[in-house]
Amino acid sequence: MKRYLDVYKQCMYSAAQSAVAYRMNFIVSSLITLVGNILFPLVTLLIYRAGTSFPGWSLYEVLLIQSVFTMSSGLSSVIFGGVLWTTMSHVREGSFEVILLKPLNPLFYIVATTFSTDSIGLLLGGISLFIFSAAHAGAISALYWLQFAGLFIAGTAVLAGLSLMMAAMSFKWVGNSRISELADSVLHIGKYPLPIFPKAVQAVASMIIPVGMIGFFPASALLGRAQASDFAAILPCFLFLAAGVWIYRHMIRLYEGVGG
Amino acid sequence: MPVIDVKHLTKTYKTYKRGAGMGQTFKSFFQREEVMVHAVNDISFAIEQGEICGILGPNGAGKSTAIKMLCGALYPTSGEIQVLGYSPARDRKRYVGKIGAVFGQKSQLIWDIPPIDSFNMNRAIYGIATPDFKSRLEELTELLDIAHVIEKPTRVLSLGERMKCEFVMAMLHQPDILFLDEPTIGLDVIAKVKIREFVHQMNKKQNMTCILTTHDLEDVEELAHRVIVINHGEKVFDDSLQRLKLFLGEKKRVSFTFSESVQGTVFDNAYTKVIDRPSDFQITLEVDTAYISISDFLEDISRKHRFSDISVKELPIQQVVMNIYENAGGY
Repeated sequence: MKRYLDVYKQCMYSAAQSAVAYRMNFIVSSLITLVGNILFPLVTLLIYRAGTSFPGWSLYEVLLIQSVFTMSSGLSSVIFGGVLWTTMSHVREGSFEVILLKPLNPLFYIVATTFSTDSIGLLLGGISLFIFSAAHAGAISALYWLQFAGLFIAGTAVLAGLSLMMAAMSFKWVGNSRISELADSVLHIGKYPLPIFPKAVQAVASMIIPVGMIGFFPASALLGRAQASDFAAILPCFLFLAAGVWIYRHMIRLYEGVGG
Repeated sequence: MPVIDVKHLTKTYKTYKRGAGMGQTFKSFFQREEVMVHAVNDISFAIEQGEICGILGPNGAGKSTAIKMLCGALYPTSGEIQVLGYSPARDRKRYVGKIGAVFGQKSQLIWDIPPIDSFNMNRAIYGIATPDFKSRLEELTELLDIAHVIEKPTRVLSLGERMKCEFVMAMLHQPDILFLDEPTIGLDVIAKVKIREFVHQMNKKQNMTCILTTHDLEDVEELAHRVIVINHGEKVFDDSLQRLKLFLGEKKRVSFTFSESVQGTVFDNAYTKVIDRPSDFQITLEVDTAYISISDFLEDISRKHRFSDISVKELPIQQVVMNIYENAGGY
């Protein structure tokens, strides 16, 4: 365990050093990621300014859902964001053996070496938006904060599982560079109050691909609007992550390298 | 007891034939013809502790696939590999801590940061104690003469410097076996010599076993005790370097660019054969140094002709394989 912590610390240090080596790239990448991801709360603002709304949800409540979604995406991108592209590039170029040569769990090593400093901007943007919208939510009890923390971790597990599943596809489907767009389209559901969707979509987003956990459920808990049944969605989240880990580790066996 | 024991090793993979030209490319989009590639086909060999074994073969022969299976990075389709008592792919995590590898075309260094930080990464990965790490690093950088470059970003280093750093990466944890896949590819003569000296020293000092794939005959001549030649995935030769030389016939390829036309001049004789004659001024000869030394041969040519350029090379590996096939009865 100590060795794994030491490796992770070393990887974070390397990532920070690489970011410092290309300072301008780091600043521009962080800004682009931030702008690209915080534009959608502005759309929410426009919707409410135009006099329409998501029924039963105030502007700040929706912004809170979206800020939790952004924070969760930011945290997941910092830790797991690089796994998809790095796996894809290793498989296409036949350099995955460099990972397999290390006496470590290859999944851990690839996660550690792809620590993404570029996504720190997104995480900070999400935190800022969260503080802004939570400030308008009134007093939040310690129990709600606790519920929020548990559900937020479960939401991040969903994003991690999704990243690993997409990355695992690279071993079989080499060069699937647009697969992340498919995932993004599913993730959009998590940015809005789940009750606005049809019941079938709600069920899928809670229990099968639990994207509701990324933004909606943790924000609901913070607002004191979570129902007991919402907590049942925690289990599928961790099952989703476990499935991602299992699929990735299984797909490594399919790695064939390229001609030498 | 051998440290590496390979029995009937086979690696087959499926690929698709896409054809050439627009028509075939379009057709392959809808219907692709499956092709089974036998990258390694029923190879068996055993290697003893402390041995340096060169695996030779032309491009696409299956050398790299074989070494990747030996490193535990690829699962064999069939057959059995035992290295240091481990099955490399099955026991990968425990096994790879005992080996080191240098891939000439795949870097283990982190591109944007200095090699010293990549070395530190390996210290953490292999759990090397800090005092041991410091003393080994000092020894290795001194041997490879790279102490002055390890704090510069990797991307600004020359290919030779980077390759020497790759060797440090592979050796810091003192592996029992070192796998080298084309370690001298693209390097200049000075860097090649330094790296060969380094491998020699490590082999002598630590009794380290070394498997080397290359298509540079000089690497094998300088390093290997034993040679395995692979072609089209099959083992076509497995014996000592001395025996390989019987097939080579101690031949060299000498190319000249003459100052005057040599059209009509006959160069073929008992010890020289014309290989290529691209112009009236240029010629490539195969010289059998068992009959005439290179210095005597050059003296003879320079007495008769003036030349502006010359290069002396080993026989290409394709020629070696051809010679082995031609003399297959003798093997």
